[in-house]
Amino acid sequence: MLKRRGFLAAISGVALLVMSAASPVLASKLEDKSSAFITSLTEKAISSLTAENADRNQRIKLFRAMFNENFAVRSIGKFVLGRYWNRASEEERREYQALFEDLMIVSYVDRFTQYAGEKLRVQKARGENETTATIFTLIERPGGAKAIRVNWRVGTNGTIFKVLDVIVEGTSMSITLKSDFASIIRRKGGKVAGLIEELRTKTAELKAK
Amino acid sequence: MITLTSLANGLCRLLMSTILFMVAGCAVTPNSGDVEAVAEFVQVNDPFEPTNRSIFEANRALDGAVLKPAATAYKMVAPEFIQTRVSNILSNLRSPVIFANDVLQGEFKRAALTFLRFFINSTIGVGGMNDMATAMEIEGHDEDFGQTLAVWGVSEGPFVMLPVFGPSNPRDTVGMVVDFFTDPLRLWASNSERNYVPFLRAGVDAVDIRSRNLETLDDLEKSSLDFYAAIRSLYRQRRADAISNGQGAAAVPAPGLGQLPGVPTLEAADELSRRK
Repeated sequence: MLKRRGFLAAISGVALLVMSAASPVLASKLEDKSSAFITSLTEKAISSLTAENADRNQRIKLFRAMFNENFAVRSIGKFVLGRYWNRASEEERREYQALFEDLMIVSYVDRFTQYAGEKLRVQKARGENETTATIFTLIERPGGAKAIRVNWRVGTNGTIFKVLDVIVEGTSMSITLKSDFASIIRRKGGKVAGLIEELRTKTAELKAK
Repeated sequence: MITLTSLANGLCRLLMSTILFMVAGCAVTPNSGDVEAVAEFVQVNDPFEPTNRSIFEANRALDGAVLKPAATAYKMVAPEFIQTRVSNILSNLRSPVIFANDVLQGEFKRAALTFLRFFINSTIGVGGMNDMATAMEIEGHDEDFGQTLAVWGVSEGPFVMLPVFGPSNPRDTVGMVVDFFTDPLRLWASNSERNYVPFLRAGVDAVDIRSRNLETLDDLEKSSLDFYAAIRSLYRQRRADAISNGQGAAAVPAPGLGQLPGVPTLEAADELSRRK
């Protein structure tokens, strides 16, 4: 009897070792941490950016800080520019990145005011590789309107977590922007300067609202 | 199945050549020396871009004159209770087409769910007015013959902007036509001399869909630099998402920390927590 118990203990010991060595344990850590990151990010965003009394400039300031802290803004900007990144001069890259950040801020800041009362439900998390996970969520809206499917792609270096892409009902923010920008550059004779000019006009127009 | 696929492929090709014949303006192919530019041209896959753009502008004018005002008025005037019921009835009426396509794609479990939903919503949901199935956690999904063709291996072909109907491609255009002609509701209507039914339904459908996309499209128009390019990208992504039944997120490239194709990667510039 004793012998048998020892045998069982040994088996379960080995099983535990095997299990902890296998990557699913590590992967689920990445997935859990990424899910927690998205949950807390959206809670913070919804509670602070839907405050009715804050004026627009204040909300822009708040949103800019949150956006930079939680989104991989430079990485997204570089990805969106695609093959034209290598063609841009140092100066152009700097100006493009600043304008890209502005465009994101001014086009999304006003949307949050409509998000009051919405709830995010994490459905599942999937590790894509050691540093990237996709979090599948449903945003439930008050009043029984159909929930919106939002997937978040989260990147990490092990300590910090940042959003790399937001995919709403199958539409990726980065990919849509990438096609949009590439089309402008093509129409401007392949010049990044042409895109920068358009970005200046667009952000100025949106800021004025 | 193989013959059906080749038939569908043939239909697509026929449609494409018809379009080619109609189209005067074609996009300028880039110099073959510029490898990246050629790759981009192939990837954008919009050889009729100039024509597509003019159709897009005409569609926008039509939308601004008719559909958008109608959808805006509907959203303002009709109580939310009514809007939800109208939406429910319309999606219940789509069930037979969804069911047929579930079956054609070999998705028998999904077909059974579609059948169950149709049964529940048509009976205790009172003619589809109330989505009792979703309340019982039998969630709905959409399918169409364009998606079925994609599952069968038919490629989408070049991007096409259809007058009135909007963004499409040869595969999805064929799909739309097939769905229209095989729809049991339409067959019933035409057999019983109620030819106005499909038109009435299409009209209500258009207003319903447009009213639910008012903000989304306004936002996209507001934030995009080239609205046409943004719509083209959005259409392709939505179709890819629909074909994969919402499971395709990993195959899509994004900005990145990893080396996922087409996915943004976390770059050193973002690894410091930036605070301003």
